[in-house]
Amino acid sequence: MTTMAHGQTEHEIAAGRARENVITGASIVRHRRSSRLIHWSVAATFFLALLSGMPIWSPLFGWMASLLGGMEVCRWLHPYAGSLFFILSTVQFFHWLGDMRLTKGDRSWFGPKAFKYMHHEEFGADPGKYNGGQKLFFWAVTLGAIGLLLSGLIMWFPLYFPQMIRELAILLHDITFILFLVAVITHIYLGTAAEPGTFRAMTRGTVTRAWARLHHPGWFQEVTGEEARKR
Amino acid sequence: MAGQTLEIKRSSAAMWGTHTGIRSTPTVAKYIDTTTCIGCKACEAACQEWNDLGTVETEQTGTYQTLPKLDAKFWNLIRFNEREVDGGLMWMMRKDQCMHCAEPGCLEACPAPGAIVQYGNGIVDVDPSKCIGCGYCATGCPFDVPKFHVKSGKMAKCTLCVDRVEVGLEPACVKACPTGCLNFGTKDDMVALGDARVKQLKTSGFNDAMLYDPKGVGGTSVVTVLGHGHPEWYDLPVDPNVPVLVRLWKSVIRPVGVLAALVTAIGTFAHYTKYGPIEPPSDGESGDHPN
Repeated sequence: MTTMAHGQTEHEIAAGRARENVITGASIVRHRRSSRLIHWSVAATFFLALLSGMPIWSPLFGWMASLLGGMEVCRWLHPYAGSLFFILSTVQFFHWLGDMRLTKGDRSWFGPKAFKYMHHEEFGADPGKYNGGQKLFFWAVTLGAIGLLLSGLIMWFPLYFPQMIRELAILLHDITFILFLVAVITHIYLGTAAEPGTFRAMTRGTVTRAWARLHHPGWFQEVTGEEARKR
Repeated sequence: MAGQTLEIKRSSAAMWGTHTGIRSTPTVAKYIDTTTCIGCKACEAACQEWNDLGTVETEQTGTYQTLPKLDAKFWNLIRFNEREVDGGLMWMMRKDQCMHCAEPGCLEACPAPGAIVQYGNGIVDVDPSKCIGCGYCATGCPFDVPKFHVKSGKMAKCTLCVDRVEVGLEPACVKACPTGCLNFGTKDDMVALGDARVKQLKTSGFNDAMLYDPKGVGGTSVVTVLGHGHPEWYDLPVDPNVPVLVRLWKSVIRPVGVLAALVTAIGTFAHYTKYGPIEPPSDGESGDHPN
């Protein structure tokens, strides 16, 4: 937990962003460079897999196939994009695992408090760096990636598997994808429009003190040593 | 693709398909009588020749059967099954190929628009220019018919000689058969032929002879007279139908999924318009640079 004086050079600020949970200038580094690179690689492969998979899933999304060069390209690309997504998700999993243990305070997130949060009434019991909802998303996408990979492998090489396994694989792939899509739309919403000041955390790596104080008071206190809320 | 002059009744992964519902064309059917088949394989050779499939390397499986199963380059296979029945040895030889189901599981499962079509006359055909080689059709078919070409990955199967049928000729296999156990005509006529033959067989000691035209797939454009009422003796499924899960993906899961995605997307928009963003207060104390 290092504080640096104001008036640092740009070089020192950039170096600060290589480590996280530190203050640089007037902001706090929330995600270091490796975290951001991993996250965006996962996001890119997710969208490649999505754009190539959805036209196969439903003709309503046939227009997405045109972006990639047609249905045959989609069929060829999708398993590779999906496999790469899984490999990168595994790297991401181990990268964030340490931060994602559910604590007692997190449990208040699963229940009526979550709805109060959605209605901007309640901001949870002093969340640390990641709140219960974020941790839930982490575990959900972990399970989702595993489900998609296992079912996807069966769908990639269907003739090696018996009839019932093939049928169940397509079912599992469909359902897991739908849940994943719902979660990701929510994740994107919360990371952009719903909570200004959040998106830059994953691009530039920093957040303002006011953002940290509001959304993650426990983390704010750990990093700055100051009380988050005036009680 | 063959069948250019025929109207398409049903198409894979289509919203409404191209069927106008104006023309009423009779359903055609191939008739197979296993009780008069001599296993000469003229039909295998005729199919290879008509469709320019070239030759395949045969695989010895302990019987006269050419290959263990159909292949992308072998669309018509005489299956040899031996069985002891009533103290005597019976050879059940059955001509195996695509059954051209009225409700084709392959077509229902196929995700590529127009890759599998069903013509107005009931023939089910593949358009290789649209096939993406995903293998869903193999999962949808209860007869294990779809096979995939090693090089292109695309599916190929019996076309019921649609290119001959559309110009008024009978399929190549029917033309080649020396015993007359194969026939071709309208479905109604072929079913009548089959019923008459079954009746005749029953008077000759084949007490449980049957006409195999499974209703679980809506009936098929290939009707087969079986001397013994046990389809499984002929490597046929007893009560085939389009797998439930295939129907479920298409008619339930997919619409539910699309709806869930739309609801979430619209929901986030609605949430934003009602509650707006959660802005951290600009209380001046942070004095942040937008870095």
